[in-house]
Amino acid sequence: MSADFWLGVGVTAGVYAIFVLGLQINVGFTGLLNLGQAGFMGIGAYAMGMLVTDAGWSIWAAMPVAVLVAIGAGLLVGLPSLRLRSDYFAIATIAFAEIVRYTLQNANFAGGNQGIIGFDQAWRDVADGLLNWLDRFGLGGYTQLPLFVAVWVAFGLCLAGLKLLQASPWGRVLRAIREDETAAAALGKNVLVYKLQSLGIAAALAALAGFFLSLNVTYLYPSEFDPTFTFLGYAILVLGGFASYGGVAVGAILLWAVIEGLRFLHLPLSDGQMGALRFVLIGLVLILLGMLRPQGLLGRKAEMQFSQ
Amino acid sequence: MIGNKFVAAMLAAGLAVASWTAGAQADPVNLTIGKLLEVTGPLSDTGPSQDKAVKLAVQFANEQAAKAGVQITAKDIGADVQGDPQAALSAARSLVDQGASCLIGPSITPESIAIANGVTIRKRVTIWPTGTSMRLRTIKDEGTIFRTVPPDSLQALALVAAAEDKLGGASGKLVSVIYRNEPYGEGLAKNFSSAWQAKGGKIQGPIVFDPAQATFDSEAGQVVANNPDAYIIIDYPDTYAKLGAALVRTGKFDPTKGFVADALALSTVPNNIPPQAIEGMRGTEGGTPTGTDAYKIFDSLWQKAGGAEHYSLDANSFDAATLCFLAAAQAKSSDPGAITDHIRSVTTPGAPKFYLTNLADALKAVDSGQKIDYIGVVGAFDFADNGDPTISLFDIFEYQKGKLVVIKQIDAARVTE
Amino acid sequence: MSLTALVLAAVVGPVAAGQATLNGLVAAGYFALGAVGLTLVFGVLRLVNFAHGDMLTFGTYVTLGVTALGLPFWPAAAVGVVATAVLAVLLDRLIWEPLRRARTSTLQLFLAATGLAIVLRYGVQFFATGQVRSVGLDTTSSVDIGPWHLGTLQLAVMLIGLVTIVLAGLGLRYTRLGKEMRAVSDNIALAEVSGIDTRRTIRITWLAAGGLAGLAGILYAAAIGSINPNFGFTILLSLFAAAILGGIGNAYGALAGGIVIGLAQEWSTLFFNPRWKPAVGFAILILTLLLLPRGIMGRGKARA
Repeated sequence: MSADFWLGVGVTAGVYAIFVLGLQINVGFTGLLNLGQAGFMGIGAYAMGMLVTDAGWSIWAAMPVAVLVAIGAGLLVGLPSLRLRSDYFAIATIAFAEIVRYTLQNANFAGGNQGIIGFDQAWRDVADGLLNWLDRFGLGGYTQLPLFVAVWVAFGLCLAGLKLLQASPWGRVLRAIREDETAAAALGKNVLVYKLQSLGIAAALAALAGFFLSLNVTYLYPSEFDPTFTFLGYAILVLGGFASYGGVAVGAILLWAVIEGLRFLHLPLSDGQMGALRFVLIGLVLILLGMLRPQGLLGRKAEMQFSQ
Repeated sequence: MIGNKFVAAMLAAGLAVASWTAGAQADPVNLTIGKLLEVTGPLSDTGPSQDKAVKLAVQFANEQAAKAGVQITAKDIGADVQGDPQAALSAARSLVDQGASCLIGPSITPESIAIANGVTIRKRVTIWPTGTSMRLRTIKDEGTIFRTVPPDSLQALALVAAAEDKLGGASGKLVSVIYRNEPYGEGLAKNFSSAWQAKGGKIQGPIVFDPAQATFDSEAGQVVANNPDAYIIIDYPDTYAKLGAALVRTGKFDPTKGFVADALALSTVPNNIPPQAIEGMRGTEGGTPTGTDAYKIFDSLWQKAGGAEHYSLDANSFDAATLCFLAAAQAKSSDPGAITDHIRSVTTPGAPKFYLTNLADALKAVDSGQKIDYIGVVGAFDFADNGDPTISLFDIFEYQKGKLVVIKQIDAARVTE
Repeated sequence: MSLTALVLAAVVGPVAAGQATLNGLVAAGYFALGAVGLTLVFGVLRLVNFAHGDMLTFGTYVTLGVTALGLPFWPAAAVGVVATAVLAVLLDRLIWEPLRRARTSTLQLFLAATGLAIVLRYGVQFFATGQVRSVGLDTTSSVDIGPWHLGTLQLAVMLIGLVTIVLAGLGLRYTRLGKEMRAVSDNIALAEVSGIDTRRTIRITWLAAGGLAGLAGILYAAAIGSINPNFGFTILLSLFAAAILGGIGNAYGALAGGIVIGLAQEWSTLFFNPRWKPAVGFAILILTLLLLPRGIMGRGKARA
């Protein structure tokens, strides 16, 4: 298969990697089962799209503001729901994400079923400029390259930032909350505030992932932000390793290589059956991930011993 | 010396030219047609029939090419777009990587735009979406996006004409509009409502229903409330099976007041749609379909093949694949760019007309370099500059005893005069 | 509930309010029956079974397959119910029991359940294709109750559903098995110690949950007229809403939860465009979790 195809897979993997960094800080380091990450992503991406197409903002100004909007949504969701027990919190977040998706599909201000288009011109100009420059090295034919580089550089920066954060006193409190919330509270830490901060950071990362997703697809449409996105994100998290930020990259690349690689599995079956079989295999991978190696590829089993 | 060298050079050149042209005539064209199918995801009910439509087109075209002695064979490969623009991008790439020269599909405009921007414009591969939104035309596609399905702006006007025809004018007449919550329905309903209201008519709704609901009784109740003069129902067969039953259960539904669009134009009503929900209902679809000889051949191919039943827009996908085949035959190449350049010269208005009934002759004609006007199963195309069909001719049909019967033809472009 | 109905009648007129209420009760029937199995598993096993919706799909398609072989509808439905019950137990042996023994985290269970849901759904689609199918019963005949109408098939489904749920509730309360299930759901260690064969109890729970799921799916498909392999998954969140609203582990709670969700959704169409119906269900779910986490009738732990 062409380099373009695999670079495209690499872009998708990068988008998911940034998305899952957010899940990792929630699940791996704070003990929060956040199933609403796709909702934050949708809010961030649409906020950016609407600011550019409706309010005429530049995309570079719209992005940071959209991140703030997503963080705001994270706080709004977290305030009432973080005091619930963990599986109820999970269901509350998934309900929130679905409400977001339905609103995006049905509300006029979000373009509804017609979605939003035309917000990415500024990025395309940058990408074209980059491609012209790359042409000097004979790489100008790889149209996916600019976005690929952008996504993974962004991932790298977020990864570095999160690792720094995790090594700091703040990060240690987070871990303490994950291990034993009551003990952390007894030590005088305001558990809710820390959890909110964790959720807020996750929302910001989701928004960032959403930007790259929309630049890749060039169209904002509600079905891009459905719960399956979050479910696959969790598969990546488990694959790459519980409580391992770096593992997220490995998990994302592996999972997407498998999912997209399965497109080329050709058996003497009809296209319809192959399509269904592909998903059966993906489902089996998820089950196996759940059953066989809970600490993932790069995680440590010790990190898994926390009470839910 | 110079003379000999000159003669030798001329001979060599002559041989080269001879072998080149001989080679060009002897090289058969191996065409790969890609199918962008909704196999999984929310639109997966459309997948099986679209797959079958393209397969049948390829099979039939191969047979006719063999009969005509034209050196071209095609095969079809498919990929799952999953109802999601991101997956659609990767599906399109995988097909292009495997050598597809044209892509039939996808079903919705967001997927089409993602694919166009990401893959096909650059590689000059034609795509043939079945989505009808005018949004598709807001991007610069460099002539790579063609549609065999009339855009919803025109069809909405045809619906207006059909309703006016039944009701004797629009002024003062109350019409309920209900549509399935997705881009196709939304576009058509909006265009219909504004045109109807511009003519003095009144609109009840639009009532928008989510296809995955547990009951449609409340929505059905809103459609028949206040005893409207007509109902415009923009839906697909699978959800209409549920909505139609709910409409009948209200006890106030009169199917002869109903109008549907091309997604519900089915030559035979499938078993799961109750007859009381559709008998006597009218609707619009583009061109001159189900009565013609071309349609008869298409339908008999379909029935003989077994498998998926007729679904919406399958004839349109069939035609798209056939056009791709014809263009490749004329270009004598499976290069996507060459095919793109030849689409219009197999659908040139004014050129000799060919149909599915004489596809073998059409192939012979294009093989000899002739321009033709191929009329599809769904009718003539006459592509506009932007690649949309300009036929404003629509058929108004009525369901009689479970079968679609065309009762008249109108020119949608005339409706707003 | 009845107070709300009266207020609605005053606002939009008795006919509209009454019809919406009837429609809501129909929807409630589907949600309640689907939710009972979910709530049992949630209660006894603490498992949020994301694959439950696809078990509805499985049971329905087995029924369809059997009718294609020539059996009439009701015997085929019985086969479908049994098949789903057996599948549930098999899956417990294969997947859930090993995970229980390994004491895996909520996340792992979630992943396994999601994977299982995908395998079931696309496994069905592999054999049946994505094409729409119909059970073939008459969905158009209706009964008139004054100015209101109700589909005959829908009425039958509501009655069967109601009877089933009441039987389940009575079973839970009065039979020894039911008491054992409640004991395990309260405290599995204590139940073991007091001599209950918890493994058998768990197996019975899965049999019941699977059978109920199959029945719910079949009735839903019969009354609504046409289905495709996605239908179980698409109503899953509404089933969760009903189960949580009613209180985890409580069959009557599932009924109450289903009624609230069904009524709320259909009543909402009196004021908002029906396109918002699904969002109403999710909004209620969130409100329940925040304000009434024990549910209407449940005794579950609310806080972490």
